[in-house]
Amino acid sequence: MAKSLLVISRQAPWSGLGAREALDLVLAGGAFDLPISLLFLDDGVFQLLPEQKPEALQQKDVTANLAALPLFGVEQLYAARTDLVQRGLGESQLALESVRILEDGALADLINRHDQVMTF
Amino acid sequence: MFYLPMKFVISVQASPQSPASRRALKFAQAVLSEGHEILRIFLYQDGVCNATSIPVLPQDELDLGVAWAEFIQQHQLDAVVCVAAALRRGILNTAEAQRYGRKASVLSDSWELSGLGQLHEAIQQADRLVSFGGS
Amino acid sequence: MATLHLLSQSPFTNTQLKSCLRLLGDTDGLMLCGDAVYVLNSAPELAPELQVLAAKGALYALEEDQIARNCIQEGVVQSLNYAQFVALCCQYDRVNSWV
Repeated sequence: MAKSLLVISRQAPWSGLGAREALDLVLAGGAFDLPISLLFLDDGVFQLLPEQKPEALQQKDVTANLAALPLFGVEQLYAARTDLVQRGLGESQLALESVRILEDGALADLINRHDQVMTF
Repeated sequence: MFYLPMKFVISVQASPQSPASRRALKFAQAVLSEGHEILRIFLYQDGVCNATSIPVLPQDELDLGVAWAEFIQQHQLDAVVCVAAALRRGILNTAEAQRYGRKASVLSDSWELSGLGQLHEAIQQADRLVSFGGS
Repeated sequence: MATLHLLSQSPFTNTQLKSCLRLLGDTDGLMLCGDAVYVLNSAPELAPELQVLAAKGALYALEEDQIARNCIQEGVVQSLNYAQFVALCCQYDRVNSWV
């Protein structure tokens, strides 16, 4: 059986390459049909903010790549409720619909359900 | 405590200037000296800058690019650099330098450029994935 | 199934530790490397979560980082060399490095 990988994405989308390179790893895993999950944590939840305008910074739209996740078979998507609330993000307005919102108490279990974990 | 030999994948995501890169090398050396196996060393993000011996350091400082290259050569390790991360940071081999019309190929012979699939493949076969990023 | 969390940044300038503590499971371990060992400087008033970890024997630090920074608190934390660090990675089911 294939080993599962949880990628934890903690960086805001336009603060460098962290968010982008985390997502690239997830998409590559999806392309190989591997069981791969993605958790948005801390400032990583800002990737889920709708209607961002990265072209103002001459950046490519990471949000568009997020939309590709289900197409690559990556359906285990999670975000931490504490971080959404703390950062003023409404759960109904997230850029990605299929994200499951987790309480802090469920995060340890999420990690421990996976064979390997990588944080960005 | 003694543990049965395990297969490790070591992912380095920090630049050679970060203490995390030196920590990764020391960890990798200990993995082997403790009788375990390294399936693959994979460089991603700023970690790709560990795959060159071009930087010139003061003689009394640890040259991590050289140290990695020697370690890999000595133990004949499988050492892969993420090509997408490397291209954007100027870590090219001869083929990529020619393809993109760049003047210099800087990748050390110890390393190979390849895709992120190589990290996933190694993770599938490994008992442990240990990554070193940040500081 | 337990996870070893690896921290490397100073708790005084970075939220790494705070964030890690809220997703630490009952059987998980915490290893301090680099500037993360500075948290030991606030001993014995360590965060209550760290005291709990230390009491369980699940709080570790990389010895060379402690020595270099003069952050050696005997009895608070288990100081490890690289060989012991490797063994610790074998002891836990997976390793999560915070960046």
